[in-house]
Amino acid sequence: MTHALLEPWRPTRDDPWDRDAAAHLLRRAGFGASPATLARALADGPEATLERLFAPRGHEPKLFAGIESLLATGNAELLQAWWLALLLGDGDPLGERVTLFWHDHFATSIAKVDDVRLMHRQNRTLREHALGDFRELLHAVAKDPAMLTWLDGNENRRGHPNENFARELLELFALGIGSYDEHDIREAARAFTGWSVASREFVARADAHDSGTKTLFGRSGEFDGDDALELVLAHPECPRFVARRLHEEFVGPEPDRATIDALAKELVERDWSIGRTLSTLLASKLFFARSARRARIASPIEFVVGTALALDLFPAPVEAANAAARMGQALFRPPSVKGWDGGRAWINAGTWLERVNVGLDAAETIRSGEKSFAPEPDDSSSAARLVLERLVGGADDEFANTIVAAAARASSVRDALADSVALVLTAPEYHLS
Amino acid sequence: MRTTRRTFLIGGLAVTAAVPLAARGARASSSDGDRVLVVLQLGGGNDALNMVVPERQDAYYRLRPTLALARRCLHRLDDDFGLHPNMGELAKLFAEGRASLVHGVGYPSPNRSHFRAMEIWHTADPEHPPGTRGWLGRIADELAVRAPHSLPALHVGDGDLPLALRAERTFTPTLRAKNGLELRSSAARTHGVRERLLEGRARGELDFLRTAARTTYAAAERMSALAARPSKVEYPSSQLAERLQLVAKLIAGGFGTRLFHVELSGFDTHARQAPVHAALLGELANALAAFQRDLDAQGVGARVTTMAFSEFGRRVEENGSKGTDHGAAAPVLFVGGGLRAGLHGTPPDLSKLVEGDIAFGTDFRELYAALERDWLGVSPSTAARPFALFA
Repeated sequence: MTHALLEPWRPTRDDPWDRDAAAHLLRRAGFGASPATLARALADGPEATLERLFAPRGHEPKLFAGIESLLATGNAELLQAWWLALLLGDGDPLGERVTLFWHDHFATSIAKVDDVRLMHRQNRTLREHALGDFRELLHAVAKDPAMLTWLDGNENRRGHPNENFARELLELFALGIGSYDEHDIREAARAFTGWSVASREFVARADAHDSGTKTLFGRSGEFDGDDALELVLAHPECPRFVARRLHEEFVGPEPDRATIDALAKELVERDWSIGRTLSTLLASKLFFARSARRARIASPIEFVVGTALALDLFPAPVEAANAAARMGQALFRPPSVKGWDGGRAWINAGTWLERVNVGLDAAETIRSGEKSFAPEPDDSSSAARLVLERLVGGADDEFANTIVAAAARASSVRDALADSVALVLTAPEYHLS
Repeated sequence: MRTTRRTFLIGGLAVTAAVPLAARGARASSSDGDRVLVVLQLGGGNDALNMVVPERQDAYYRLRPTLALARRCLHRLDDDFGLHPNMGELAKLFAEGRASLVHGVGYPSPNRSHFRAMEIWHTADPEHPPGTRGWLGRIADELAVRAPHSLPALHVGDGDLPLALRAERTFTPTLRAKNGLELRSSAARTHGVRERLLEGRARGELDFLRTAARTTYAAAERMSALAARPSKVEYPSSQLAERLQLVAKLIAGGFGTRLFHVELSGFDTHARQAPVHAALLGELANALAAFQRDLDAQGVGARVTTMAFSEFGRRVEENGSKGTDHGAAAPVLFVGGGLRAGLHGTPPDLSKLVEGDIAFGTDFRELYAALERDWLGVSPSTAARPFALFA
């Protein structure tokens, strides 16, 4: 039986499929939407919109065409810009959203890996498996050259076990603290001995492998790395751990136990398919609940990409990447193997000033005429209403009224547009996702 | 503790909270109102055994065939311990009685996960999963009650706000740039309306963001003035030195912040440790010494205590990659004017290891208790007995 909260949400007159509901779905299952995408979602309804998220038009092929020459430069900033170009291109919002989620989950930083080819390859692996079988994803990540470099696979040899990967696998990737002990970490590390990188490729070095008997979660055998991964996946906490992470990312930070149990059950019943589990979650009452909407603090990538899409701004990808980095989210460079803490940790005086400054700069591109709105609004008041509709769904409350009143004092329509954009983008309300 | 409900202002927002009525710590004096604590976090697990070297213990040389430091290169601290060769500037502070350390600091059943161990240090709680408030955040909340318009705590670094500083009633900014915080000039055009949009009551994340915005704008204005002032001494050129230099300007300039959290990362030396670790320790010692001399030259050195800690020490036996893996207890370092100088606590005994690690002799919460009661004059976060840190 499906958990009541995971049942599909059906719009009603009191709880309709409106701009607010559609924008919520497009923000959480992607990074927001252009005015055209939002209008189409509104017209099509939730089911068709979800279907399109799962069968997107895809990325422009040219975004992949130049990748080899990009990688040849060895420049990490260009790699960040490349991913931003995919995000801003909006060809596969859900796929990118989930890829970024896995990047945060299996957080690996170029700060230590120091090789754009390996980072790009890991990104490709995450993208390929993003909506696939979690078990395959875990195996792929464990053999990923960037991950092996990041967590010292080459240093993990028979007689000299290095626990780095084994510890993070249990703690951060698959189980969570409390589901294993220090002994399990040591034994798992022995199972992974020999998993190394040579010439940027995964290699299982037999001479470095400890083939002795290990005992992991109370079971004994001459386990190798694949065996250890299977034992981790068979641990009862594993699906719950993945379910909790999915809930935190797509619904909100404090799931109750029953919800997690139901979502974990869903994951296992759907053969560990992240895509099929998400198609249940993103259509559910839980997901569309009013309390879930605009309840989390937007990540820097959500803020930067969402603003660009809603205003049709088309910033240079490298600038967008740098802006997100200054706000605390440098792609390919998470702060630690724990990934980004997210939530309130996104915000401090430094990152808030960056957000405000980026918002103010966007407003100035409109004031200078570098960016224009078509069709141009007739007067200051409709200018403010247009900006509000694009950025916050056209609310008619005290917040909206304050912006409209401020725009009315502007000396031109263009100033009214710019001032409204400046005010909305620097208002705390806008930074809730 | 007895408390009273009182309404006060945080950044213009009326808040009602419990205010302590009880007398403050026994040693709290009239001067504790301007004392400052700088917490310097050595992230990644500092190999303290190669920082404060047990030069007379054979086991050190036996367990560290490639990493052990030769006795003749060390800066002598006492009969048994010497400082890393790159830490001469810090050794001078020890010689002048302006530095101290407590050996063997830890807690029962040490955790070897970076994140969990850091959480434990940040929340002063090894037993429970972390809440949303850190040990410094709790102090910041209490200080904000006493001085409603101050910014009791600041984070100087480029990472996320550390859990230690997360608070319930106060909002702690992070300073990334050399000069702190700067807003675009075009902000002036919409300034009044932007401020108005921050008024009014809200709940949850919106309330959090509004408080964040207000605190940020106020701090940016005051800080830019102080950051422009010259320093009294020459600082070495390193990121840590740059951060401590800004801290010194803010303390000497009367910015009013009582708690600073500064980070130096990169101590997770699993492989080929020696050159990386040596460079970090040099950066640490030189920056700390310049900082203390600057504060002294500006006449505020006596009211600043700096504590340098790491989430754990490293395993005594080196690993097969000329590095060290995660360990347990380690010394905590102090620099400042009011300290009981020298080496305290239980010196590590390498013949009595616990699972290959140094046993802890002093619970870190005893250090926190001393900083809380005897230095800052705030209520204690735990029931731990305060360690005799101060003269």
